[in-house]
Amino acid sequence: MPNIDPIIHIDEQLCTGCRRCAAVCPVDAIIGEAGTPQRIDEHRCVVCGQCVQACTAYAAESEPSLTSRAEKLRQRGQLSSVREPLFAAYSTGHALELKEALADPKRYKVVQCAPVIRVSLAEEFGLPFGTLTPGKMAAALRRLNFDRVYDTNFGADVTIMEEGSELISRVMSGERLPMFTSCCPAWVKHAETAAPKLLEHLSSCKSPMQMIGALVKTYSAELDGVDPANILSVAVMPCTCKKFEAGREEMNVDGHREVDLVITTRELAQLIKDMGIDFINLPDEPFDSPLGKYSGAGTIFGATGGVMEAAIRTGYELVTHESIPNLQLDFIRGDEGIRTAAVQIGDLELRVAMVAGLKYVSSILEQVADGTSPYHFIEVMACPEGCVSGGGQPKLLLETQRKRAYQARKSAIYRHDSNQKVRKSHENPAIIKLYKDFLGEPLGHASHHLLHTQFISRSAKEELS
Amino acid sequence: MKKERPNSFVIAEAGKCIGCKACELACFTVHNQDNGVAASVGTVTIPVLPRLYVIQTDSFTMPLQCRHCENAPCAGVCPVQAIRQEDGAILIDEDRCIGCKACAVACPFGAVSLYKSYGNGQEMKQPYLKEQQNGRLERKARVIAYKCDLCRNIESGGNSASGEMVSAGAVNHYGSLTENGGEPFPACVSVCPEQALTLVSPSLGESRPRTAAGLGSLRSLRL
Amino acid sequence: MNSFVLADPDKCIGCHTCEAACVVAHSGNDLFEQEESEIAFYPRLTVIETDEVTAPVQCRHCEDAPCANVCPNGSITNKNNSIFINQDTCIGCKTCMLACPYGAISMVTAYQDGQKQRQSGLRTNAEGAWSRKERIVANKCDLCDESGNGPECVRVCPTDALRFIVPGQIDESIARKRTASAQLLQQFGSLSGY
Repeated sequence: MPNIDPIIHIDEQLCTGCRRCAAVCPVDAIIGEAGTPQRIDEHRCVVCGQCVQACTAYAAESEPSLTSRAEKLRQRGQLSSVREPLFAAYSTGHALELKEALADPKRYKVVQCAPVIRVSLAEEFGLPFGTLTPGKMAAALRRLNFDRVYDTNFGADVTIMEEGSELISRVMSGERLPMFTSCCPAWVKHAETAAPKLLEHLSSCKSPMQMIGALVKTYSAELDGVDPANILSVAVMPCTCKKFEAGREEMNVDGHREVDLVITTRELAQLIKDMGIDFINLPDEPFDSPLGKYSGAGTIFGATGGVMEAAIRTGYELVTHESIPNLQLDFIRGDEGIRTAAVQIGDLELRVAMVAGLKYVSSILEQVADGTSPYHFIEVMACPEGCVSGGGQPKLLLETQRKRAYQARKSAIYRHDSNQKVRKSHENPAIIKLYKDFLGEPLGHASHHLLHTQFISRSAKEELS
Repeated sequence: MKKERPNSFVIAEAGKCIGCKACELACFTVHNQDNGVAASVGTVTIPVLPRLYVIQTDSFTMPLQCRHCENAPCAGVCPVQAIRQEDGAILIDEDRCIGCKACAVACPFGAVSLYKSYGNGQEMKQPYLKEQQNGRLERKARVIAYKCDLCRNIESGGNSASGEMVSAGAVNHYGSLTENGGEPFPACVSVCPEQALTLVSPSLGESRPRTAAGLGSLRSLRL
Repeated sequence: MNSFVLADPDKCIGCHTCEAACVVAHSGNDLFEQEESEIAFYPRLTVIETDEVTAPVQCRHCEDAPCANVCPNGSITNKNNSIFINQDTCIGCKTCMLACPYGAISMVTAYQDGQKQRQSGLRTNAEGAWSRKERIVANKCDLCDESGNGPECVRVCPTDALRFIVPGQIDESIARKRTASAQLLQQFGSLSGY
């Protein structure tokens, strides 16, 4: 899916011009007078979908002047069985396209799920905030006709191996510091737009989703003896910008798209309902091997500070060759805004910063541009509390519940982490096997080809030409 | 004997309202736990039917809802006494309503609407009344009058989903008290991002405190 | 939504023209050529007179019509935006009459081609000797559905006290009232003080 569609839209018929979306937009991409329908500046927009989460201007059933609901659903790429209200701000859906593809017996259908789907999907079925359902989710995906149910958490573990190694090498050489994380596609697009001169500071790692996508069409295709051209690679994401990321031209491996289709948490729930699957009463089923075995470190990617914590768990041991004294790095965890910390790793005092919410990143970027940034490693997540609050997550009916929902989703993530036997990426047996059998070593030749990427300057000038 | 006090009601300020319809959505949400509506939009399986209505004109926007009139005309015309005053609120007993529309016609504010009735996320059907539909006689959907009940009929607890919702959003807000005494906050009031809605709880024989601002508005009445 | 006829008591002068028009409209024969004693004067609306007010009362065509919901054999249905009694199948049980909160249903003798309908089975000795009993059925406003010209009562009222309200008109009126009351409030200013 090439990136022609801007993904985030505002329905002119429904928008009342209240501009609550503009209040949550981290990049001032929503334009319009109060009381009139708003529009989106596609150049600035980072596709984070926070406007989609905030919008309360719904289509009233009794409004006769509107385009019919069936037509609106079709325009939005949504299944005709969807019964929930339609709002002015929405993201393009791909559930309709996926439903058709899933019915194709000739394709080999592979799916991966982001860390936070399992802590929020249950909300769409009326269960309490923070209900953990990884097993039911895997079972549901199998019933949706996927041949392989993989996990983005495994991709997060691979990311830690690559990004952790990259950080160590950059800290040792002192080059291009500080290093920014690159797993949040909205942050990456913002950096490309607002700070194209600083792109060398981004880790060259692809996101966990793209890493899994690349491995699905190579490593796992080889293992399963399937022609990569025949594989449909699908990702379930809490994020609307992952649709944009998957459509980036460079995200292909040997001519195959790494991820063919991205659906959101909400779209997965709609698909499950559409197929008449009784989600609540599904048995727990495991993910498939090898790309479905994950560590606790992989799972915490979904919360702000999670990438940092996971990286430190592994980085500490790779550098010191000693076991990290305390696995739970509470000083890394937190809420919206900027948090900083210093971590003693052997002789090195690693200075880190975590940015949750893209609107907070500008001061950090200024420091980097001035050469005054005191940090080695900076994690940036565009959404207020990281992926738990992503634009594709279950949308809340009451604003008054938002804080509580995010807290519950986050604590479910950390609970899931602490229940894992393996909690460090480099100790995940499937990761060890991947490097032994296929990749060789982190930052090696195969990794470079499959798992790393380059970024594009999207300065305003280029946009005009 | 308990001293009679005028009914409370919710009223909006046009100057503050931004037209976001969060109040309509919140109203619908808390009134439809029995229809499976929990915390997330995905749990909604029926049309959003609020009990207050955001009016948009070229010059202003504001929600409008029942004023809980002391001599409620809606109740006066109800042929089956389905509209009564209960603990200081004018309430419609939806089970008794026969959908005759008299209340909707009588209300001078347009605060009563007739919609289909829902239960367990499904349209409620008439016990016997049938209607010609798609060439067949089928049981007709029940249609009842809806209006603001000051969130009086909202129960906490129930299934895990709504229990979650109430404990997360509603009870925190419903549980808290208004300044002038003892009444829970309706959902529209607690959810408004601009604090444009107010629960007014007047006392008998007392009027609104007169302010300089109030006097100022008199000037606009000069000829 | 169903249509219905609504009276304005302030305009009604109690002249009963609507009742007469109703009977004429529903009479198969020419009323004015009949013997007075043979005329079945069963209007489907009734002008109510009290000390203060007069107004005709008739069926409101309720959405959840209690009459229909108590009818034991489905003789009352929703048809063309109205509540319709099928007098051919009515068994005369009178439950609908009891159920109607407006008192809009009465029991009347059924006629066909100007003749009282007689039952084939049921015999009565009401007239002294055993005879086939006449059919008695529930009767109420049908909005003059068959004529296709709309309710006759509305057409004949000399003071325009009756209005025929069709679906959509209530919604329009509610929308108008909402905007009007919002207009009034919007000048009202700040609510500080409460």
